[in-house]
Amino acid sequence: MFSHHTPGELVLPTRRKFLQQVGHGFGSLALAAMLNEQTRAAAAVNPLLPRRPDFTPRARAVIWLFMTGAPSQVDTWDYKPELQKRHGQVLPGSDPQTGFFKTSGKCLKSPFGWQQHGQSGTWVSDIFPNLARHVDDMTFIHSCYLKGNNHAPAAIELMCGTNVPGRPSTGAWVTYGLGTENQNLPAFVVMHDRKPRGDDQIWSAGFLPKTFQALALDARRKEAIDNLLRAKEETDAQQRTALDLLRDVNTAHAQVRPTQADLAARINSFELAYRMQTAAPEALDYQSESEATKKLYGIGEKNTETFGRQCLIARRLVERGVRYIQIFAGKGTGGDGSVDDVPWDGHNNIEANHRSCGAATDQPAAALLADLKSRGLLDSTLVIWGGEFGRTSDAQGTVGRDHNPHAFTTWMAGGGTRGGGFHYGATDEFGYKAVENKVHVNDLHATILHLLGLDHEKLTYRYNGRDFRLTDVGGHLLREVIAGDI
Amino acid sequence: MQTLHARQPRCVVHFSLSVGLLFSQAAFAAEQGPPSPEGIAFFEQKIRPVLADSCYKCHSVAAKAQGKLKGGLFLDTREGVLAGGDTGPSVVPGKPDASLLVKAVRWSDPDVEMPPKHKLPEPVIADFAKWVAIGVPDPRTGAQGSAKREINVAQGREFWSFKPLAHPSPPEVKNAAWVRSPVDRFILAKQEAAGVTPSAPVSREKLARRAYFDLTGLPPSPEELADFLKDESPDVFAKLVDRLLASPRYGERWGRHWLDLVRYAESGGYEFDGYRNGAYHYRDWVIRALNDDMPYSDFVRWQLAGDKIAPGTYVGEAATGFLVAGPYPGQITAKTEERIRYDQLDDMLSTIGSSMLGLTVECVRCHEHKYDPIPHADYYALAATLAATSHGVELVDADPTATKTALDAHAAAHAPLLAALRKFEAEELPARLEKWQREEMPALSSTARWQTLDPIEVRADKAWLDAEADGSVTFAGRTKAVQNRPGRAQGTDDPNNITYTITAHTFQRNLAAIRLDAIADRKFPKSGPGLAADGSFNLVEFSVTASPLDAGSAEKPVTLKLVPAQARFAEKAMPIQNSVDGNRTTGWRAKDNPGVDNAAAFEIAGGFPGFDGGTVITFHIEFRTDAIGRLRLAMTNSPLPARPAENGKPAAEIPDALGGGTDVQHLRDLRAMLDAKLVAAARPDAMRWMSRFDCEGKALFDTVADHARQAPRPKLSEVYTTLQGGRDVFLLRRGDVGNKEGKAAPGFLQVLATTEPGRWLAPPERDPRVALGDWIADAEHGAGHLLARVIVNRVWKYHFGRGIVATPNDFGAQGARPTHPELLDFLAGELIRSGWKLKPLHRLMMLSAAYQQGADANAQNQQRDPDNKLLWQRPAHRLEAEAIRDALLSVGEKLDPKMFGPAEGTVESARRSVYLRVRRSELIPFLTLFDAPDATRSMGDRGATTLPTQALTMMNSPFVRDIAARLAKRALAKGGTPEAAIDHMFQIAFSRLPSGAERTKFGAYFSRQKELIGGTDPKLAAEKALAATCLVALATNEFIYVD
Repeated sequence: MFSHHTPGELVLPTRRKFLQQVGHGFGSLALAAMLNEQTRAAAAVNPLLPRRPDFTPRARAVIWLFMTGAPSQVDTWDYKPELQKRHGQVLPGSDPQTGFFKTSGKCLKSPFGWQQHGQSGTWVSDIFPNLARHVDDMTFIHSCYLKGNNHAPAAIELMCGTNVPGRPSTGAWVTYGLGTENQNLPAFVVMHDRKPRGDDQIWSAGFLPKTFQALALDARRKEAIDNLLRAKEETDAQQRTALDLLRDVNTAHAQVRPTQADLAARINSFELAYRMQTAAPEALDYQSESEATKKLYGIGEKNTETFGRQCLIARRLVERGVRYIQIFAGKGTGGDGSVDDVPWDGHNNIEANHRSCGAATDQPAAALLADLKSRGLLDSTLVIWGGEFGRTSDAQGTVGRDHNPHAFTTWMAGGGTRGGGFHYGATDEFGYKAVENKVHVNDLHATILHLLGLDHEKLTYRYNGRDFRLTDVGGHLLREVIAGDI
Repeated sequence: MQTLHARQPRCVVHFSLSVGLLFSQAAFAAEQGPPSPEGIAFFEQKIRPVLADSCYKCHSVAAKAQGKLKGGLFLDTREGVLAGGDTGPSVVPGKPDASLLVKAVRWSDPDVEMPPKHKLPEPVIADFAKWVAIGVPDPRTGAQGSAKREINVAQGREFWSFKPLAHPSPPEVKNAAWVRSPVDRFILAKQEAAGVTPSAPVSREKLARRAYFDLTGLPPSPEELADFLKDESPDVFAKLVDRLLASPRYGERWGRHWLDLVRYAESGGYEFDGYRNGAYHYRDWVIRALNDDMPYSDFVRWQLAGDKIAPGTYVGEAATGFLVAGPYPGQITAKTEERIRYDQLDDMLSTIGSSMLGLTVECVRCHEHKYDPIPHADYYALAATLAATSHGVELVDADPTATKTALDAHAAAHAPLLAALRKFEAEELPARLEKWQREEMPALSSTARWQTLDPIEVRADKAWLDAEADGSVTFAGRTKAVQNRPGRAQGTDDPNNITYTITAHTFQRNLAAIRLDAIADRKFPKSGPGLAADGSFNLVEFSVTASPLDAGSAEKPVTLKLVPAQARFAEKAMPIQNSVDGNRTTGWRAKDNPGVDNAAAFEIAGGFPGFDGGTVITFHIEFRTDAIGRLRLAMTNSPLPARPAENGKPAAEIPDALGGGTDVQHLRDLRAMLDAKLVAAARPDAMRWMSRFDCEGKALFDTVADHARQAPRPKLSEVYTTLQGGRDVFLLRRGDVGNKEGKAAPGFLQVLATTEPGRWLAPPERDPRVALGDWIADAEHGAGHLLARVIVNRVWKYHFGRGIVATPNDFGAQGARPTHPELLDFLAGELIRSGWKLKPLHRLMMLSAAYQQGADANAQNQQRDPDNKLLWQRPAHRLEAEAIRDALLSVGEKLDPKMFGPAEGTVESARRSVYLRVRRSELIPFLTLFDAPDATRSMGDRGATTLPTQALTMMNSPFVRDIAARLAKRALAKGGTPEAAIDHMFQIAFSRLPSGAERTKFGAYFSRQKELIGGTDPKLAAEKALAATCLVALATNEFIYVD
């Protein structure tokens, strides 16, 4: 395991090493690091250099498709015939403390058609005609639960392990633990349309150094990354000349301050930035893809345009070595009174809401799986699909469903997961509460870290006197959802 | 209920809270006698195998040895089963339903479902229930494994940071010539012992730049620098330090450091991230306090209890913004409220712990501290000191002195006007009145039903009211903010209820009914008549009392019994009857009629005869949150024409019977008055009425009334702060709100108290938060010695780059040990001796030779002390995000020195960064990019990361490029030629002139850029090339790393 450090506790490199680093620039540094000459000094110069995992990783990258607003488990992947049968009857064990508002206490059947799909015979509701074709690549975890029963606290819990803000998110932990392979691109990318409830707190780097923070791409903005593009009035030659002078004077400045490694890091950062100006727009340029690919993702269709672009960009980023990507699914086509920042939040009318959200996300998500697979990337890319909690099995009003933190389904595909349409854990006969092999977010996180080659108990960071972990004091590895023996 | 307090000082404190229970169960088991052979057989066959298979993995001595013990529960011995774990005894022998173990295996409580992965088969669960029912027969022997960390507070006090301050003398050193301040002796002694030598002093230019940035966060201007360099006096640097400490920029710079520690932000975080308009007053208070060099002990006390130390004052309220600056959910329901409340207390406690004491108090929320001598109960004792706190907005006068001056001036101007009126009343009025009565009154008549009551006095408990010349009363602003906090008391104690009290006089007899008009007015939302956003009001109680005007009267005041009559508009669910039902939770409202006058009339049951010598009528009109914006009151002697509307039916419309205006009432009243005995108290009333009929009298009367209406009112600021509220705090096992252990009484951390908490809490009516502040600042018996060590270390860290204790927020066992413990205690002692003043502390540090060192490349030092723990050099420090931005604004001459006030939202603002908005969901990207904290928890050490996105900002952002253009203009204006301009650029940006080589390099670059820019206008090309040159200067390491 590599040594973790807190700011201000960096060990300085020797003068010789320092000069080598400055002299040879980034390339040799990265090479040196990859050749396992992974000194703390190198980390001090660039903490994002790839780091050796605790054990052989199964996944190299993660794409988390976050279904913002919380899809209903019993209307998507967790088929409950009993709920269909007992529609309108009292839901046994209905707990008034569950939802955010008040629920009726009476069973609400799923309004969708259900069919079995794939070799596994997995039941899928008809809002996912495309994803249904991929059930045999998926591993379903039906028994997820958490504590928060409102969007922001639950999303913070799902991403950061606990429902109060201030802890680093999974993406930040992973970046801290593993660094990144492509220094010209950010290691941790978030894509959103309207920001989900909880905003940046959901993907915060918390108390970790800002090095590990996410770069958020706002689908509503024209310029994806702030200040990425060279100023209009400046030519490449002008900028290059400027950077040459900068490097020259900075090197002279650093040479008389030989004990300060951070000076060299900053010299390198300008070279990285210069390359990023080209590399990042190239990575985000989904337009350069073939028409067939764009069509596959639903780009050009009103319903699927935004999520389609985000999924396609995610694939392009993974191809280019980006480690961790989170997409917060934006608004559906509407019509049920739900709000843009929590599109799946079907309080009023689960049918209208989920049809609309399904229509916006099904095809792009399926395209992502198909595309990753055809390019041989699915094995090394962990795709996760799920929301911040589930929904009540009893009705809110007459045709809506309230929040339900006791049960929700998350599926994973690729990245060393078991696949084959394997179903892990179970809810009760109404899909109301997880009852078998319950999976807390800490367990989910432990498993994700494991797939990436990290031991969740060893990935720690000392802050305000305590060694913090993503999984805090919990976390059980879900061995059954991982392919093969571990 | 058990109260967790009244601890006696003990040598060893075992906080085993289940001791009592353990005994009682042991007794129970003993009563049962030895287990029967059948019971043992049952255990061996049905229970033991299951325990071994499904439970020992996490609940046994073996599990503990592997670090896998969960919940502090041992199920591998009988003692362990009976004693239970962190959540209490696992069984109540004989009572399966009350036994946690049985509940856990039944999976009936979602928080405790055991075993966690697979529910046991139902027959096995039934076996467990039976086992408990038959008295828990268990032949296993052996002592229970101990999971609990036994905290020994007395021993804990021996830890270095909890010990009293030592009073070390500065040690002797060999190289005494190097020493400039006592600080140096401590530094040098260690260096000499380790064979390390200090670096040579830094150049004066660099020293000045260092001092400017350290104390003000801004670079010196070339002129300021020149003045400093010119001064040959030996104390030139001391003078500079004093000057900078006196600069208002000091508070802005150091205030920002403090704001890091207290997770300062101006919004709630979570969903919606509600912006707190009045939060910035706390930031301003911090800046002012530091500029004023408020003693640090008071600085801390005020933040904990300013609202109690100086209630109702701006400074008091602004200071306690500290407690409530943390995140708080934007949507709360009854289901989550209690947990959120404990989260909020935890936020306050962890912030107090980290920022003031360098302790991780939050670790004790669920269990005893794993490393430091802080028992679980101490956390809740500390939490109990904060029990009666809530958060919200107070309206306070930010400048009471100005208000008093204005009020005094108004009163002085009012006195002669009033004297003239009184003189007229005494000397002129009787004759004029008599003449008028004789000549004019008989010709007047009065027929209108309603007579307007002219208010004599108007006031409200949470608002200002204006008495208008037409007899109406207008709302003129709230003096108490609306509280929108969940869990607030409703109904009678609703803090948002607002009461108008309006007094009028009448001399008439036989009052029959009262009328209230709510008048639409364009200055209110939707033109009123109410103040709610939809133009409505919610009147919850309307009552009228009558008392004799004549002070000599023997009559008693009476409350008039009102029969609801009619309202013009009312919602079906909120009829007019609600306003006289004696129930403050129900009200009269009409929200579908904005912008239209509303009215209500109330019959006085049985009528009211009135008092001899006149009647004072007092109206109490109580609203819930939303009052009437403008109202008028009237009375009548005639009975109402119609009966009240039936329940459920729309109220009959009130005929608009106000009739012929105010004079009508005066006439009738005047007649009544003249018919009666004219008491002295009635003379102003007579004047009031006569003024309407007498030109001279009117002029005098109106002058006084108009002037009175102009009485100045303070400008109230909306301050987001700590409010009275909250509720009792209970000790929670494992921090779980469902597992309360008894009310917690206020107290403090025992390890930081050499006496009982009563020392600070007595007398009992003393506010526990005031006591908390006194304890924390009590250097003799309380936590003051640690408080001093922690702040001294912070000041040191900001000056030297690393604290004497490298973990400024953790002075506990997990934290670093001081590199120079004697120095730390010496400085802490100096701080206390100087009356906790921080400015002398800065002087003490900055005037040392250690501070004024450079950074020699000394191989021997580097080898002997590679981490510079002995301070043999002072390496360059990267500026913090705010200082980088402020330095940019400064060199670009864009900086707006305006202090204080509402925050500004963008990086483009010209204000200093400390005044930029801190909204948790939308932090300023420029600042977070350079490591500004995310404002959710105390941040004692930001670190300084380096990112390519920072470089992109320096290269491409419009903000930085604009600064470069401004800097170019500034340098050119001063220099004239490009060469001279480059020299000036160096002076402005780096506080020095370029070397020959630099001059050549930058000159060549300038020429090359000019060529590349080309174009037809050489002057424009030169300007652009100079801006490009300045951009490189701003991007250099030298610009943001200060030697």
